[in-house]
Amino acid sequence: MNEPSEPVFEAEHVTHRFGDEVVLDDVSFVARAGEVLCVVGPNGAGKSTLVRIALGLLVPTEGRVIVRGGPIGYVPQRKVLPKGFPARVEELIVANLRGRWPWRIRVGERERTLRALDAVGASTLYGKALAALSGGELQRVFLARALVLEPKLLVLDEPETGVDTEGRREIVELLHRLSCDAAFAAILVSHHPEVVARMAHRVLYLDRRVVACGLPSELFGRAGLVSIGDPRLRSTRQAATDEGTWTR
Amino acid sequence: MDALIEPLSQAFLVRALVCGVLVGGLCAALGVFVVQRGLSFIGDGLAHAAFGGIAIGLLFEIETEHATWVALPFTVAVALGIAFLLRTGKLHGDVATGVFFSVSFALGVLLLSLREPTRPVVNVESILFGSLLAIGPTDLLVVVVTSLVAAIFLGTFWGRLAYATFDPELARLSGVPVARLDYVLLALTAVVIVVSVQTVGVVLVSSFVVLPAATANLLVRSLGRATAIAIALGAGGAAFGLFASYHLDVPSGATIILSLGAVFFGTLIAKR
Repeated sequence: MNEPSEPVFEAEHVTHRFGDEVVLDDVSFVARAGEVLCVVGPNGAGKSTLVRIALGLLVPTEGRVIVRGGPIGYVPQRKVLPKGFPARVEELIVANLRGRWPWRIRVGERERTLRALDAVGASTLYGKALAALSGGELQRVFLARALVLEPKLLVLDEPETGVDTEGRREIVELLHRLSCDAAFAAILVSHHPEVVARMAHRVLYLDRRVVACGLPSELFGRAGLVSIGDPRLRSTRQAATDEGTWTR
Repeated sequence: MDALIEPLSQAFLVRALVCGVLVGGLCAALGVFVVQRGLSFIGDGLAHAAFGGIAIGLLFEIETEHATWVALPFTVAVALGIAFLLRTGKLHGDVATGVFFSVSFALGVLLLSLREPTRPVVNVESILFGSLLAIGPTDLLVVVVTSLVAAIFLGTFWGRLAYATFDPELARLSGVPVARLDYVLLALTAVVIVVSVQTVGVVLVSSFVVLPAATANLLVRSLGRATAIAIALGAGGAAFGLFASYHLDVPSGATIILSLGAVFFGTLIAKR
């Protein structure tokens, strides 16, 4: 990372409650253009709620989020596709462009779709039925779906979920390559230390509130473990195991 | 060729044909979304709710053919109730539909039994199994207007309905008003079901909704094409079934549904 660029996303004192339960407590952070901010934390830490608030699907009880410029690209956790829905790869991508499911694909849309698929190394998937894709292929298609909008902010919610080890490695390398020369800010939620280690420019450790936020080197030890010596982390639920995996 | 032209010299058959084709195409177009949303049972549920609505009309001494005007708001209210329960996420679609289905039908049976014994006997069979050949000019006008309104709605919102059907959350992120569309879709389905009950009856109308869409899903990999094929099957099946019933001298509603069923099972076997 060179000079800090303009913030694309800002969360300002975001608090969210479901009934009496506080799910997010005074969470503030920024995501800047060109950086990948990895959000980690145990189950129930509020990561999914934070994603939903960032996407505009939830309005925070208190505080606000600011997204500066352009649409938000979103890569969900592996989707369980509706059984029997006759859908092709390009239809899913064009639906994101148009805001509605296409009856037919126009020439311009076809070109943009192919460019987006090409960017994720999946141009051969054009024309294929979604139901016929593997987990890794499906995540590439969802990534292309997000990129086709040319977003300023990319939100990735555990994109490696449901993908086998080899597929995960490919997805991580792909994301790493995209993030190296991209102008967008990326907020990546992940449970996998190898994903975070490879991708993160900064790490935000969330457990309903921001427990720690900083460079990966500040939060990771030499062996790729969480810096469990940090008293702030120790005070939370077990953040990492001796095997080096985030607890869920 | 005479087998096609000869029946059309009779006005009631022309009305039945136009009505059947419109209702068949319309139910199939809606059926594409209903089936994809796992709500195949809703056709049955709303049809039986319509029966309850008709019974309310009959209790107030409205004639059977006009009782659908009472059934219409009643069934739409039931549809909106089901949509509300689905949105709360507290009940599955089949449970929500099943509750309204059984309560509405029981209400209908109860209300029919409360009619004055001196009132003319209600032909329950025509409500349950329809009477396509008895469609009058006014009924046909109602079907034509309903079809027109529904076609405009579906033509305008098809893409957004399809997106919301594929994934409500992704559709919402793309700016689709998913909740409003859910309510409108079920309300429209209720209107179409009530109108269709006259043609194929309470018992068979859900087949009109489900069979063409289910068959089309077996044939193609694109929802656009599936919709076009379902509409063609629904309309074509109605026309074929009507002519077949005329020549075989058997009930038209049942023949139409059996024709659609034959196409479904034929496709299922051919695609194995």
